[in-house]
Amino acid sequence: MSAALRVVHYLNQFFAGIGGEEHAHVGVSVRDGAIGPGRALQNVLGETATITATIVCGDNFASERPDEAAEAVSAHLRRVAPHVVVAGPAFGSGRYGLACGRVCLAAKALGIPAVTAMEPDNPGAVSFRKQVVIVPTGESSTSMAPALEHLARLALTLGRGEPLGPAEVAGYLPQGNRRVWDRGRPGYQRALDMLLAKLHDRPFVTEVPYNAPEKIVPAAPVRDLTRATIAMVTTGGLVRKGNPDHQVSASATRYHRHSVRELESLTPEGWEAYHAGYFNHIVNRNPNYILPLSFLRDLEGKGRIGGVHEWIYALPGVSTPVAVATRLGEGIARDLSAAGVDGCLLVAT
Amino acid sequence: MISAIYQFALTTGANRVVRGARIEHVCGDPGLGPDKDYAYGMRIVTTALEAIATPVTGPTLFDPLASGSAAEPAHVC
Repeated sequence: MSAALRVVHYLNQFFAGIGGEEHAHVGVSVRDGAIGPGRALQNVLGETATITATIVCGDNFASERPDEAAEAVSAHLRRVAPHVVVAGPAFGSGRYGLACGRVCLAAKALGIPAVTAMEPDNPGAVSFRKQVVIVPTGESSTSMAPALEHLARLALTLGRGEPLGPAEVAGYLPQGNRRVWDRGRPGYQRALDMLLAKLHDRPFVTEVPYNAPEKIVPAAPVRDLTRATIAMVTTGGLVRKGNPDHQVSASATRYHRHSVRELESLTPEGWEAYHAGYFNHIVNRNPNYILPLSFLRDLEGKGRIGGVHEWIYALPGVSTPVAVATRLGEGIARDLSAAGVDGCLLVAT
Repeated sequence: MISAIYQFALTTGANRVVRGARIEHVCGDPGLGPDKDYAYGMRIVTTALEAIATPVTGPTLFDPLASGSAAEPAHVC
């Protein structure tokens, strides 16, 4: 069987048969061949692929010492050099799902294709679905058999070095990639078919799925405004007069921060708006309309707020994809949080 | 978040949304003249500060024109 693909399987302590929560602290170890659900996976894989080793790690060890665990997993993978790595299925188990995601990332970093399976709301899927191939499963191990069949199919494709089809066809969680793909029939025909199906109450599958906005848990309220440091962020395209930082007017991929420590107000001599999505001239006469420094200084002077954060953040909020905007927002939030800011006013035009 | 297109902010999941004046002048209205313009902007900003000091469970609108604050209500022409 020299042509058989070498597969390495990853399991947590429970599925490896070591034990439950009381053994979740065990570190990374390797067993020869397939164990636990790996035996059933081997059956589905058939003769074209062989599980040569199983890497095992306790869920607590993997979540509490993720770097150490990933390093140990990488060391074993380098030694065994499999054609493909299969992790899980983790089903609804959060720590196990995260561990499976990290194992797949570690394999990917070594140039080894990897696939895992878990419930779509598992934190591992939420965190890694864009970087890792994840087969959706049910909440519990009752969906083991279909999950393993699905995992085996994708593992064989990946192990042979063949490209996976689109997520909706190959059956993994969408990774948000757009690729040119010939659907065989022109768009107007597909659109009319969909419209007819909709009018006749027949099922149809949209080609432009609705991405529901992410639900954000509201921040706790500021307890005492009179002692709070308040920051300001604007997506109104505020720039220093003349735009010396060369910020773009749309599709921003970066934001700029500026110190307002010495300023009582934003003046038209010092600031302007550079934003392709609205008429900028009114703001150019009074930039405080999109970054209310003059008002906050007034309130600071009256003791209504504790203080104004030294740094303001600005970018033009127009045509930036949600994924990029999310990254930019996280960067600003990290800064403000590290600076100990208590509250933030975001002005969006 | 202070925004003139507050409905959009609410439907996309912003939790504390303050109704701004207009897209071109979110925190105030130059058409009101300097004094009322400033009062209106201040009303918007103080409403935003009240918003971040108020517990919410999901997207919530704070309307500076509807709140019963003691400040003189600004009229949008």
